[in-house]
Amino acid sequence: MELTLAIAIGVLTGSGVWLILRPRTYQLVIGLSLLSYAVNLFIFSMGRLRTGAAPVLDPSGAVDPASYADPIPQSLVLTAIVIGFATTALLLVVLLASRGLTGSDHVDGRESH
Amino acid sequence: MEWTRHLLIVPILLPMVTGAALLLFDETRHTFKAVVSIASTVLLLVAALALLGIANGAPEGSAALATSYAVADWPAPFAIVLVLDRLSALMLTVTAVLALASLVFSIARWDRSGPHFHTLFQFLLMGLGGAFLTGDLFNLFVFFEVTLAASYGLLLHGSGPFRVRSGLHYIAINLAASALFLIGVSLIYGVTGTLNMADLALRIPGVPPEDRMLLLAGAGILGVAFLVKAGMWPLGFWLTSAYMAAAAPVGAVFVILTKVGIYVMLRLSLLLFGSPAGELTGFGGTALVAGGIATLVFATSGVLASQSMGRLAGYSVLVSSGTLLAAVGMGDAAVVSGALFYLVSSTFTTAALFMLIELVERAREPGADLLAVTREAYGEDKEEVVEEHEDEEVGVVMPGALAILGVSFGCIALLLAGLPPLSGFLAKFAMLSGMLNLDGLGSPAEIPARTWLLVALVILSGFAALVAMMRTGIRTFWAPLEVIVPRVLVVEVAPILALLLLCLAMTVGGGAMINYTEAAARALHDPSTYIQGVLGPISTGALP
Amino acid sequence: MEHYPLLLIVALPFLAGLAAVFFPTDSRPPVTRLAGVTTLACLALTISLYPSISAGEAIQHRIEWIPSLGLNFVLRMDGFSWIFAFLVSGIGFLVVIYTRYYISPDDPVRRFYLFFLAFTGSMLGVVLSGNLILLVVFWELTSIFSFLLIGYWHHHQSARDGARMAFTVTAIGGVAMLAGVLVIGHIVGSYDLDTVLASGDRIRSSELYVPALLLILLGTLTKSAQFPFHFWLPNAMAAPTPVSAFLHSATMVKAGVFLMARLWPVLSGTPEWFTILGLAGMASLVLGAFFAMFQQDLKGLLAYSTISHLGLITLLLSLGSPLAAVAAIFHMLNHATFKASLFMAAGIIDHEAGTRDLRKLSGLFPYMPITGTLVMVASASMAGVPLLNGFLSKEMFFAEAVETHADSWVDAIAPYAAVIGSAFAVTYSIRLIHSIFLGAPPESFPRHPHEPPFWMRFPVLFLVVACLVVGIFPGYTVGPFLHAAVSSVLGSATPAYSLAIWHGFNLPLAMSAIALAAGFVLYLIAGNYLEHADHVPLFGKIQGKRIFERVMVAISWRGARFIEEVFGTRRLQPQMRLLVAAGVVAGALPLLATGLSFGSGTTDLTFAALWCIGMVCAVAAAHEAKYHRLAALALLGGTGLVTCVTFVWLSAPDLAATQLVVEIVTTVLILLGLRWLPKRMEALVEPGGLPARLRRIRDLTLAVVAGAGMAALSYAVMTRSPPDSISDFFVQNAYSEGGGRNVVNVILVDFRGFDTLGEITVLGIVALTVFALLRRFRPAPDTIERPEQQRIQRAKDEEDPDRSEDATATEYLYVPSVIMQWMFPVVIVLAAYLFLRGHDAPGGGFAAGVAMAAGFILQYMAAGTVWVEDRLRILPVKWIGGGLLLAALTGLTSVLLGDPFLTSYFQYVYLPVLGKVPLASATVFDLGVFSLVVGATVLMLIAIAHQSIRRLRAARLEEERHHGHQEERQAWN
Repeated sequence: MELTLAIAIGVLTGSGVWLILRPRTYQLVIGLSLLSYAVNLFIFSMGRLRTGAAPVLDPSGAVDPASYADPIPQSLVLTAIVIGFATTALLLVVLLASRGLTGSDHVDGRESH
Repeated sequence: MEWTRHLLIVPILLPMVTGAALLLFDETRHTFKAVVSIASTVLLLVAALALLGIANGAPEGSAALATSYAVADWPAPFAIVLVLDRLSALMLTVTAVLALASLVFSIARWDRSGPHFHTLFQFLLMGLGGAFLTGDLFNLFVFFEVTLAASYGLLLHGSGPFRVRSGLHYIAINLAASALFLIGVSLIYGVTGTLNMADLALRIPGVPPEDRMLLLAGAGILGVAFLVKAGMWPLGFWLTSAYMAAAAPVGAVFVILTKVGIYVMLRLSLLLFGSPAGELTGFGGTALVAGGIATLVFATSGVLASQSMGRLAGYSVLVSSGTLLAAVGMGDAAVVSGALFYLVSSTFTTAALFMLIELVERAREPGADLLAVTREAYGEDKEEVVEEHEDEEVGVVMPGALAILGVSFGCIALLLAGLPPLSGFLAKFAMLSGMLNLDGLGSPAEIPARTWLLVALVILSGFAALVAMMRTGIRTFWAPLEVIVPRVLVVEVAPILALLLLCLAMTVGGGAMINYTEAAARALHDPSTYIQGVLGPISTGALP
Repeated sequence: MEHYPLLLIVALPFLAGLAAVFFPTDSRPPVTRLAGVTTLACLALTISLYPSISAGEAIQHRIEWIPSLGLNFVLRMDGFSWIFAFLVSGIGFLVVIYTRYYISPDDPVRRFYLFFLAFTGSMLGVVLSGNLILLVVFWELTSIFSFLLIGYWHHHQSARDGARMAFTVTAIGGVAMLAGVLVIGHIVGSYDLDTVLASGDRIRSSELYVPALLLILLGTLTKSAQFPFHFWLPNAMAAPTPVSAFLHSATMVKAGVFLMARLWPVLSGTPEWFTILGLAGMASLVLGAFFAMFQQDLKGLLAYSTISHLGLITLLLSLGSPLAAVAAIFHMLNHATFKASLFMAAGIIDHEAGTRDLRKLSGLFPYMPITGTLVMVASASMAGVPLLNGFLSKEMFFAEAVETHADSWVDAIAPYAAVIGSAFAVTYSIRLIHSIFLGAPPESFPRHPHEPPFWMRFPVLFLVVACLVVGIFPGYTVGPFLHAAVSSVLGSATPAYSLAIWHGFNLPLAMSAIALAAGFVLYLIAGNYLEHADHVPLFGKIQGKRIFERVMVAISWRGARFIEEVFGTRRLQPQMRLLVAAGVVAGALPLLATGLSFGSGTTDLTFAALWCIGMVCAVAAAHEAKYHRLAALALLGGTGLVTCVTFVWLSAPDLAATQLVVEIVTTVLILLGLRWLPKRMEALVEPGGLPARLRRIRDLTLAVVAGAGMAALSYAVMTRSPPDSISDFFVQNAYSEGGGRNVVNVILVDFRGFDTLGEITVLGIVALTVFALLRRFRPAPDTIERPEQQRIQRAKDEEDPDRSEDATATEYLYVPSVIMQWMFPVVIVLAAYLFLRGHDAPGGGFAAGVAMAAGFILQYMAAGTVWVEDRLRILPVKWIGGGLLLAALTGLTSVLLGDPFLTSYFQYVYLPVLGKVPLASATVFDLGVFSLVVGATVLMLIAIAHQSIRRLRAARLEEERHHGHQEERQAWN
């Protein structure tokens, strides 16, 4: 399971990195989205993997931290998701504007020679 | 004393509330918005000064040197804490001054060239305040994002092809950098199990050897993220275009953004990898010095190669970044003290330059730059041994406005070049004398080659700035036969002059200033005071 | 140690200069008077201080400045600095009188006097500084004001060039000297002049002596225009003549030799000192005199002669013998007197005759006999004719030149160089007199020459008289002052010397005779040739100015551009590449240093299968993103869903929920955006061929390495035993202290509510930015047209008369739109539910907000923008502002109650239907979050959706685009 997730993170990162090195703005957007998936999963994995231990407490009886998944990475991922969403939207609009103003969807606003 | 506790939250909360409140009012009421925005910034400055007083009042070496404030009232290290020490107080004050200057400048016209300027501006201040105050690694990320988001908005403020394209680059690169930031932070958390900086500093010496490389990897990746913000070569090419594309007041306030990266490097490298960190002490120092030197060289040639003033200003920002990075990398109290002085001085200077350029450009016909350069390159060999008298030898009267701009330009040139009498010279002198005399003047310490190299580069970069500024200044103020007198408003000149006067004041009051920065530097080199300030004296036992 | 007169001498000129600015523009007389009074006052103060230093001790005025760095404002006056202060203020005064008549009445003199006075102050500062750093400060100030004064007539190209060159050369010298002084400070441990002068042995024995010496000499030689840095001085002659007389003969150029004499006890006496200064001095002496002979510009001639005389002084200082030092100091004074007078006379001639060109000037004597006489006497002194002060110091110079000081060829050739140099001096002096005053009166002058007003001539007269008096009665006039100066420099080493005119027949006298005779003969032979020489023989091609310009352009322009282009880029892709690479390196280095160890994890085939899909989607998206945007988007969504499932699987329901809603909104956004992107353009293929393929391979490698790195890191951490984390605290206190069972939510709104506050601010800012950006949105021309499908539908509708346009589209969407409209209330309820349960179960303000926003956008899709906005008016910006305020104020209430910001209070309340719900202040905070999220999301979605109902006229578009391109062309330089 850990191995699967690690490989998955790797592949997502790889695809993302490949895309952000491409010249088209749209590739950039998709790439950064893939990258943010990878990063979110990475953050999440820092809390180690647990199944069936959602950090929703059962108030009856004493609370044993060991029996719940680490909530901190989850909250960090939540924040990261939101910020990632916002910035992706922004980048999308900026690329639209750039396309509108420069007439090209190249990241430099002009075809490189 | 009770209320002063809450003073720590003001630099974050005040701009936030102002910014949010301004959203409830209609765009058409921009005079009202401007007034509110400026008033709030004045209050911010007052608060910053008060904090400066508190930080400076603390007796040296005492834990009170770092005052901490637990947001949401949970005990540290679990809660997010805000930490005030001399360094953060200094940064806050610089930010407030800069903000006030740019804001006043902007009300002349810029704040109306797009919607919600003041809101975005206030949110930028909120982000900066948070970044300088927070004592929590992930919270630092959040405030970095607030700052960045606001800076995106301000950079694109006014739109236009060049802004949008530079904006695209700026955003894309910073998004990638933020990804690195997250990776670094989470990795550090995964290894140490904490996000609180002070707690982290305590835990690092205890990290088992088999986990250490992960910690360092995290720190390294984190470092890259900060170096991108600081514009270190080869990660800072985006900076010049972005800064020169931004509207003048925005460019001016952006100057502090690079300093955030520097600040964090300074803070974390000395807190986490300071003396107590055992064999990890000084991690990455050499890389910083090398990177700083590379940045310095590249930026210096950039300054010389600049055809437009905007790019020159952008590269000047990089010059100061390079200098500071190298100084931070040397990681010695004497150097850091000088570097802090330099940080303040160069921030004010470059900010003033960004604003001045906008005014001067109004007086110049476009394309003059290229002409002047080519003339310099080829045309100027013609011998005029004898001065003939076809034209009467009478000095030209300089129109008042132009004279003021000229004087400001000259002062900025001196400041950038580090020539007397303004603070640029003292700053450079303080830094160099620190580099040459690590343990005080006259200590017979051997001086390593890299120090000599750095000293030479710092001096030469100043000289290069002088050459470039002289070239620009002569062709702007002296060469044109009929001078176009730009229409300049008082609110546009006043901030520039104010910043320059501050530089003058820093020269006259250099002694007090240096005392402060020295105290700040000493505190940084003794992490225990910071840690005790956050976690309380209990944890002192844990300190090696 | 306080001596206010000392402070006053330096301060007065600066204050007066500032005052001058505040006079009205046309107030020439008062400003002139102010300047005169100031310089006179400085002179008086200086004289008044003589008694206190004549005995040989130094007086000081000390103000603490930056003690911790050894930099204090110390002014110090002894015999040597006294005589210079006297010189500066005295000649300054004379020059002011002269300027009064020289500068044309309609010249705005305020600026001139501001610079002039400021320079005077700086120069006095240089000679009176008691701290080396302070000395550097004033040193640089003199360079700056000299720059401004040379460029005073900046409408002349030559003035601008001269100023720039002079400043560049002297400034590089200045920074070198700063470095040198820093080294000295490092050796001695103080910048205090007294301390430094006291520790000569320590400096000379230090291994840093040579670097320090080189740096300081670089400063002094550039300042004193010594070979090979001499070329700036002749070009500085573009300055107004008073400036040349003051700065470039009497004072500023003397600063270099002054400092060398000042530090003479500390630095001199070593072979390095002897060789460097000896060569520089000798070269300047001979070459300067040689060049002077060929000048056609009167001021040019004087400039080169100045270089030559300063070379003489430098040579004397290099010798390292006390007597030579005496001669050097004496000659500094003498040169100042006769050269200043000559410059002012040159100005008079220029003024009266209208030209300075020696070829044009001739036979002026009948017109201006008095001036003529004065010039002749001064020139004679310059040539070293007996009974004039120039003669005395030159005799001493010869005497020292013949002495043997070091076993070196430099020392051996010194006498010959001395004689040749003086011979040339004689020649150009004769030439000066002959070609200007004697000979046939010219047929025409630019102006009709006549004697100048008395007071314009007075300064010249005064100085010439000084030359005579000193020349005839040296012992009674200059003697005591010179002695005070010399002894304050040499101290105990002061030698016995006599200022007598007659030392009997000896070698020096013979040398003088030879020099005079040779010079005279040389003029007889070559005079005519010199009269018409248009360039300097032997050196015709080598011109300092030209070389300087070439070097400057090569280094400061071409070289710099080269570096900027080679080591920098303005394109995005390389920067991204570097960024990724940097991240990889930073992460990999520690791992490579000490290998990375892994634990072992569990295996789950279903999970693996799930991710097989996810990874395929990711890679496919990466592959398709270029041409098949929609496909790429769908594939991206696939990966997103897999991520979602993973969160559910690995006990993170909150993440799953949030991820899901965000997924939906992002997709909608991008779908709306796709409409404005160009169609797939296979035509525009990447430049093919090997380089392109190599580039792709490089990027692929980078991507693979980065991926592998991330995988390795995460696997390594996941398979390690977790450290004792601060999260345990949260789990333990979430319910008991935080009042919520859903720990993640409690963290978000309470423990780390501060993060959330920032996070929602980000969202708000971005929404505002998007809104601002799209308000100015201009679609590209190829996307203005309606999409193909719509066009076809419209065509169909238009054919059929009884169909309204867009009828087809409406029919297509009829059923879904009805459903979606019914959905609206459901969505609202769902949002409320998500919100309220948030604190205890997965959900919360954010998820609720996005859901709500989704509800709104559904309406837009269903019924169209117009329909919706007719019916319900959303004010997203207000939602944003309100949300932020609500969140912030909730936090502030706790401050009012004396607790830190964001401290939360809670209790459970029973609501009908929903039952027991936690009513924590955190919930109010969460409400703020909800409001902001709704506002932000809706604002963004609407902003993009609105673009479709925009109608833009292509004409205006084109015009704007054109404008835009111009703007950009400028920006890219």
